[in-house]
Amino acid sequence: MHVFGSNELRAEVLGRGLCVGCGACVGLCPYFRNHHGQTVMLFDCTLGQGRCHAFCPKAELDLDELARLTWGRPYGGEDLGNYLTLTASQAGMRAASGPVQAGGTVTALVACALESGLIPGAVLTAREGLASMPRLVSTPEAAALCAGSKYLASPTLAALNHAARAGSRGLGVVGTPCQVLALAKMRTNPLNDGDYIDPAGLVIGLFCTWALDTRRSMPLLRRVLGGAKLKGMDIPPPPAERLLLKTDQGEIAVGLDEVRPLIPHGCEICPDMTAEFADLSVGVSEGREGWNTLIVRTPRGQDLVERALRDGYLVCEPLPPGEEEHPREASRGKKRRALRAAADEGLLKDAGDGRHAALRLPEDIARRLMANPQEAT
Amino acid sequence: MTILNQAGAGQTHLVMGNEAIVRGALEAGVRVAAGYPGTPSSEIIENLARVSTDEGLYVEWSINEKVALEVAAAGSFAGLRSLCAMKQNGVNVASDFLLHLAASGTRAGLVLVPCDDPGALSSINEGESRHFARLVEIPLLEPGDFQEAKDLIPWAFELSERLRTVVMVRSVTRLSHASGSVAFGELPTTHPKPVFRHQGFILDQMEGVLMSAPVDYKHAQQQQRLRLAAEIFETCPFNTYEGPVSPELLVVTSSACALYSREAIRWLGLEGRVGLLKLATTYPLPERLLEKHLSACARVLVVEEVIPFLEDNLKVLACELVGRIGPKTFHGKKDGRLPTVGELNPDLVSAALAGILGREVPERPPDYTARAQALPLQALPGRELTFCPGCPHRASFFALHNALTLDARAGFVCGDIGCYSMAVLPCGFSTLKTMHSMGSGTGLASGFGALKARGLDQSVVAVCGDSTFFHSGLPALINAVHHSSDLTLVVLDNRGTAMTGFQPHPGLAGEMGTQKLAPVDIPELCRAIGARVEVADPFELAATEATLLELLDQEGVKVLVLRQICALSPEKKAHKAFEMSLDQEVCLGENCGCNRLCTRVFRCPGLIWDAKRGAAVIDEVICTGCGVCAAICPSGAITKKEARHAS
Repeated sequence: MHVFGSNELRAEVLGRGLCVGCGACVGLCPYFRNHHGQTVMLFDCTLGQGRCHAFCPKAELDLDELARLTWGRPYGGEDLGNYLTLTASQAGMRAASGPVQAGGTVTALVACALESGLIPGAVLTAREGLASMPRLVSTPEAAALCAGSKYLASPTLAALNHAARAGSRGLGVVGTPCQVLALAKMRTNPLNDGDYIDPAGLVIGLFCTWALDTRRSMPLLRRVLGGAKLKGMDIPPPPAERLLLKTDQGEIAVGLDEVRPLIPHGCEICPDMTAEFADLSVGVSEGREGWNTLIVRTPRGQDLVERALRDGYLVCEPLPPGEEEHPREASRGKKRRALRAAADEGLLKDAGDGRHAALRLPEDIARRLMANPQEAT
Repeated sequence: MTILNQAGAGQTHLVMGNEAIVRGALEAGVRVAAGYPGTPSSEIIENLARVSTDEGLYVEWSINEKVALEVAAAGSFAGLRSLCAMKQNGVNVASDFLLHLAASGTRAGLVLVPCDDPGALSSINEGESRHFARLVEIPLLEPGDFQEAKDLIPWAFELSERLRTVVMVRSVTRLSHASGSVAFGELPTTHPKPVFRHQGFILDQMEGVLMSAPVDYKHAQQQQRLRLAAEIFETCPFNTYEGPVSPELLVVTSSACALYSREAIRWLGLEGRVGLLKLATTYPLPERLLEKHLSACARVLVVEEVIPFLEDNLKVLACELVGRIGPKTFHGKKDGRLPTVGELNPDLVSAALAGILGREVPERPPDYTARAQALPLQALPGRELTFCPGCPHRASFFALHNALTLDARAGFVCGDIGCYSMAVLPCGFSTLKTMHSMGSGTGLASGFGALKARGLDQSVVAVCGDSTFFHSGLPALINAVHHSSDLTLVVLDNRGTAMTGFQPHPGLAGEMGTQKLAPVDIPELCRAIGARVEVADPFELAATEATLLELLDQEGVKVLVLRQICALSPEKKAHKAFEMSLDQEVCLGENCGCNRLCTRVFRCPGLIWDAKRGAAVIDEVICTGCGVCAAICPSGAITKKEARHAS
């Protein structure tokens, strides 16, 4: 993996507008901080290599190398990445209630992991006013307060870094695909630190097409909300073309054409919709209200799901016929758009190319993923 | 009680130029003195304050120079000899009143002492007060050495009373701050009682109304005073000439330049060829005296600092007199013999003299300059301008820099003159982006903040010191509120006029002599204006940063008073709040992700990089125990423990 320092990170990620504010570089040193969703560098740093660059999902993300180190096999560009099972799920009787997005699977799994002692705490994302803020929780009740999709970028990994610095290990993390990619980079110990200990004991990834830039979204949200208090957000499946704001004064709809300009540029080159490097990935079922699509990717993830089923936190069913194709198609589309955008801007390189890159991928795979659907089939 | 009011007549003492001015004022029987602190003038009011109780003087540090001149003028109007002191640009502040005062005239002697700073040794400008004398039509005197610094003051008071106008006695840094032997004269024993007479005929100077109107009458009267001054100056004993009767070159000079000129003439051995006319009365010029000297010589070198004043006036006079004295060749600023920027010195004057007279300047050894420049580098460590150890400004600007970076709207800070001006440099994290006269940071911010309604989408911050806040920040702040501007003013309240030596200001309670000083509360004042006000301790970095971020998110006029006493203040000196310690085992040094934040970025002089150990270390000798560095070390290697004070 090509690892550079903070100055390259500032020039090539912050400077190009690729930063999505995931928080991976925040809390490692005194220089990177996040405020209102935006990551900034406070002072110049002279170190040639840094964890900030090594962990960044928008700098030198070599998917093939990451797949080999994480999955033990090359990156193939499969629609849903590496996985063991694919099911429909929803919270069981034992899950704490909260403002869950669809089936409450994530909140239920976190509750189960916490109560069974599998993880000592979890790094989640809470809504504070209009902004999304990281939250380190240790009880299912606190976890339930973080339920629901935020749609606004949050520096969630900053809380993980802070906790790791304070000595916490084996924490659960719920993150978007960019955060899961950063975690995957983190967990390969890219700087070969002798005393490295994996801070994350469980990674739950969320399906994500994009999130909004918090800072730039504030004026729009303030304007449309007026005095109403934001309780939740949702984007109904196509062809709805709108963002629904759930408030204490009812629902407010905003056209996606108004929202799309607020998507960070960094989201446009993200090739991962389903958080392929997580232990478990969870998305909203497009066909069945109140249900999630659950991808079990690792034995660690599988253990948790089995325990959650056994202890009544979770209910699983086979996906209805044809339901699997929704995430597959969406994921292929995201890969295609992202790689084309990255290639157009010169941000996509083959592993062998010495120049700096945002994303690295074997050339043949990249070509296949970028091809039109008709050509691919 | 000091030597200045205790030493008797006939004694000679080594005193600073500013002390000589004070002795001169005391010998003249000064009763009222006011000023605003500013190098190189501050010692005048300070020394008068020291003797004020003994001598029964009224002395004050005023809110600004304009008010200082008004307070001194009130003394004169009430029949007491009064003096007003300030630095060069203070006259700009006082100039509006000065214009009207010159027209109204005075009663008891009133002397205005501006101390100019050619070369800007302690200034951010090379402003000149001399030009104000011509602009507002008042007499200008310039002492040429330390004895004259004393002797000219009583003479100026006499002149002021003869003319009934304010007289300017201009000093410069090298006179005010250097020392010389001064023979003292008699101190008066009786003083008048103040009374303001106002019931006489309206135009009666001594018992009527003091005003600049009717303008045609008063202006004519003012110009008549100036003609009388020129006549008196013909026989002024402080205008001196030394040299041959018919010199090849006449040097006309004044002030400290007289010392440089005399030294240069001697060094080049030109005493037989060059005449030195040292003028103490530089405006208006004594025509007959100059006619006499100009008649004796065809070439003239005018030696003065910064922009030509004497040279221009002399050329006009020579032009008027050309029928009697013949054409003259002038050397000085216009022909480039002397620079129009910076201080003069004997070397520069020697070069000018040698160039004009075709003389070689005695050669220095060829590598003299290179060796002289290399010498300090061998013996002294490289040092840049920085805040003192434990200076609250370092902490304030660290929080400001970080808040503006986190705010990420290309925000900037408008500043002005004070120790905090150094925030344009890395020691203040290069946070300051404009720097002009006192209070102007707030005025500029008021303007920038008003542009927010016209599309400016950057965060606007102003900083000013606590003394500056009162001096000229307040009107700008009120302007900002009145015009619905959008700015955050940070008042760097270090509890005194710190840079010039802890003179009091209206924000502080205290005493000056027997006089009680009543404090005016800055936060309450700002609230009353209508600003949102917060108060924080800049040493609490995280809280300060959080408050700043919150204020930056709000629209309108916000004020954050950052209150922490100056590290050099008499109250704080030698008292550590915390005993600091640095565990070199915990400091990860080069291996820390902090990349030496403490010694590379924060750079308090109390923190040293121990290259041998590869870790930071605290310099116990200069550490003031402010505790701030403990908050910036991410490894927790720096710890603070509350210091126990011996009572």
